Amino acid sequence: MKRPIRILLAKIGLDGHDRGVKVLARSFREAGFEVIYTGLWQTCEATMYAAMQEDVDIVGASLLSAAHMTVVPELVRYRRELGVENIPILLGGIIPETDHETVLGMGVAAIFNPGASTADIVTRIREMVASSRSESDEDLVRGYKNREPVSLARLITRLQRDGLPGGIDLEQGKATIVGVTGAPGVGKSSFIGKLGGALRERGLKVAVLAVDPTSPINGGALLGDRLRMMRGKPDADFFIRSVASGDVQGGLGPKSEEIIRLFDGFDFDVVLVETVGAGQSDFTVREIVDHVLLLVMPESGDAIQFSKAGIMEIATHFVLNKCDLDGADATHAQMIGALGDSRPIWRISTINGEGIGDVADWLVQSRSR
Amino acid sequence: MSTKPSANHSAASVDCDEKPFAGLEDMYAFDAESMLAEPGVFPFTRGVHREMYRKKLWTMRQFAGFGSAQQTNERFKFLLDKGQTGLSTAFDLPTLMGRDSDDSLSLGEVGRCGVAISSLDDMRRLYDGIDLSRVSTSMTINAPAAIILAFYVCVAEEQGHGPDELRGTLQNDILKEFHAQNEYVFPPGPSVKLVIDTIEYGTHHMPLWNTVSISGYHIREAGATAAEELAFTLADGMEYVRLSQERGLDVDDFSQRLSFFFDVHNDFFEEIAKLRAARRIWANVMRDRFGAKNDRSLWCRMHCQTAGVTLTEQQPMNNVVRVALQAMAAVLGGTQSLHTNSMDETLALPTEEAVKVALRTQQIIAHESNVTQTVDPCGGSYFIEKLTNEMEAKANAIFDQIDAMGGVLKAIDRGYFRRAIAESAMMENKRIESGAQAIVGVTDFVDEESHGMETLKIGQDVEDAQVASLKQLKADRDQKRWRASLDHLRDLAREGANVMPALIAAAKADATVGEMMETMKGVFGAYDGGPEW
Ligand SMILES: Nc1nc2c(ncn2[C@@H]2O[C@H](COP(=O)(O)OP(=O)(O)O)[C@@H](O)[C@H]2O)c(=O)[nH]1
Ligand SMILES: [Mg+2]
Repeated sequence: MKRPIRILLAKIGLDGHDRGVKVLARSFREAGFEVIYTGLWQTCEATMYAAMQEDVDIVGASLLSAAHMTVVPELVRYRRELGVENIPILLGGIIPETDHETVLGMGVAAIFNPGASTADIVTRIREMVASSRSESDEDLVRGYKNREPVSLARLITRLQRDGLPGGIDLEQGKATIVGVTGAPGVGKSSFIGKLGGALRERGLKVAVLAVDPTSPINGGALLGDRLRMMRGKPDADFFIRSVASGDVQGGLGPKSEEIIRLFDGFDFDVVLVETVGAGQSDFTVREIVDHVLLLVMPESGDAIQFSKAGIMEIATHFVLNKCDLDGADATHAQMIGALGDSRPIWRISTINGEGIGDVADWLVQSRSR
Repeated sequence: MSTKPSANHSAASVDCDEKPFAGLEDMYAFDAESMLAEPGVFPFTRGVHREMYRKKLWTMRQFAGFGSAQQTNERFKFLLDKGQTGLSTAFDLPTLMGRDSDDSLSLGEVGRCGVAISSLDDMRRLYDGIDLSRVSTSMTINAPAAIILAFYVCVAEEQGHGPDELRGTLQNDILKEFHAQNEYVFPPGPSVKLVIDTIEYGTHHMPLWNTVSISGYHIREAGATAAEELAFTLADGMEYVRLSQERGLDVDDFSQRLSFFFDVHNDFFEEIAKLRAARRIWANVMRDRFGAKNDRSLWCRMHCQTAGVTLTEQQPMNNVVRVALQAMAAVLGGTQSLHTNSMDETLALPTEEAVKVALRTQQIIAHESNVTQTVDPCGGSYFIEKLTNEMEAKANAIFDQIDAMGGVLKAIDRGYFRRAIAESAMMENKRIESGAQAIVGVTDFVDEESHGMETLKIGQDVEDAQVASLKQLKADRDQKRWRASLDHLRDLAREGANVMPALIAAAKADATVGEMMETMKGVFGAYDGGPEW
């Protein structure tokens, strides 16, 4: 099976002008690409780490602050250090023509300045990624067994595209699998990012599977979960993989269960799974995880809606996020009322950090039981 | 004609009219008395003053700032010498984001797109030899605006001038950062609280100072339509007014120091109409929603800048013409002050030569074209009045949507502004790529060979020198006083009190921008952006 082109779009540095990168992200989705946008203020290191973990076909970096002479060598250096020299880097933004030659010489595949048409850019990208990769199955399997993150990343791609090669057994290991569900915008990705950080501080190795919906029209997807999760320093033991749901129903994507097992077999202690967030249709997650955390936020009316929709039954634990906002107390009371049992409700805020440690401590404890 | 003669080009973001001209029939709901009146008379559609440019020209204000404080100081003196009447300061990205020059994220960005200011010491050098009681200064900064204001007040004090003597404008408009420009640090709630702190301080101590320049410029540059720019900006303005009233300030005491900042884009008449509509809407809102009594409180005073996004890297000389047309629209729209972009701004920081041409463009309009001799020369044109009415109606419809969501802050939480802007940007991109909207020299009338322009380059030495002097400052300062000043800041922030006095004290104790921001982050939290799509 041919998978869509995966592109990582990054804004590096402090500049916040994201008009161009967002228009591109949308255009790429319309062209049927899977677009992973990593948000503002990324470092070169985090960008290339993301490219490696996501096993993208191409990286597009947007630079508008005239820092290209500093940034490009760094990007290229991390690309080499992480062993992903196969991934071409494109530059967009304001790169004076007089600098083009120098920058291309540093190892950038192409430069697109304002005015380049998206159609042209799409065509160029298709040409660039057409030259397919050449890693053998034996190398992949060996790399995976040696716990090389690059191999894990590529094996996931291999799995999604053609199934697993021989020599890999998917068995249940020691990882705790936690599903995180809730309506879009409730803060699932932010929560996973913060919880992941807290678990790392407690010495656990964490993998994340983040599922975003695929556009039904052209098969493209904007995978935006990751940008909320990668605020800390990049870390080999915090592995994030974004996937598109495809036409799989139930809140997860194709081969989700197998990907989770690959993480498990790679010795991650905890696997956090973010669902599409379609609410009551996120049922599949229940079957393949150990715990389901349902996120709710103040004044959303979720508490009431969910009790009708049956989602309350799916959840094993509840998390009231955005407790920094007004109305948290009222919603908390409502939830207690709607639940009518003793399943725990944590109060958290990913903005000020409240309550995150409690959830992490619970997870650590639950593993020792 | 060299290249393809494509059909029906129009840059208009307003829907193209079927009719070839506007006429009396477009005026059916138009009441000249209440909607137009005379210049200087409510609702000020025709201008906030009766005589406008006949009596006083607009302020010609060119944005400048690059490299070190000394370099910018020299550029300021050059501009004052060339006849510019106000100073405008651009800060570098690290400063805009509230980070010191030696922060790891500042690497490669120090002094590149503006001047680097990390401490009171830098600010002293920036305005060295410039009498702050005699110039009007505008400072384009937002998240750390309160800190920069504190620095400014301190420098003036050292020159022997009290805050009450200072004239100028602090951009200080954090709301549009959440909509468009992304230079936020704290979450929306605490961020806005900080803005209200400066409004309160300004109201009590700086009667000549414009505390907030409520900005549509960045909203438009990010892709919004003219109507969205107008509506989002005025909605932000209303939010500041509402919260200032909630703070206990009298609307007539602070609202005269709020000013606006609009983008002036290509669509000539639409832009004129936008500026006229802004005045009419604001006057009505201030009177009816907020109960302002003083005429001045009803004025939508504005600064305009020509649209950076319309400039092209290809055939950069063409930009001079674009800028001239946009500047003319701003003047016909009745702006109080104007920045004209330099032709090379898409490439890098402008060179001295390009800055001069941009300033000369304004001077030619002011002194040669004679458009200054009659106020609101477009007033009464069927077409202009119709467009003005349409702008107002569209803005009102957007206000209703925002109100229905529970106000500006709630709409930010939902990603309303960002989505609308991204959607409009995408639409425009499609119009351009489908050939429905032309860009001369880019989509049409393209030159085969391209010639690069000489651009201004900032060397790495600025960063190195800046980092070194910051290190020195940190080693030399009185550590006890410094620590205490930051503790005091943290305590005031926790109490929810106005932090301005604490910021001024911390500035004097040589605390840096980054240190003050970190201290407040500890209390307010850090924001990671709203919903993206
Ligand atoms: N005020 C507040 N906003 C939050 C919090 N957590 C997340 N958000 C915001 O909620 C929005 C959606 O967050 P995201 O993690 O992408 O939600 P998801 O769609 O459920 O994955 C973003 O704008 C976040 O900044 C929180 O604790 N407090
Ligand atoms: Mg998400």
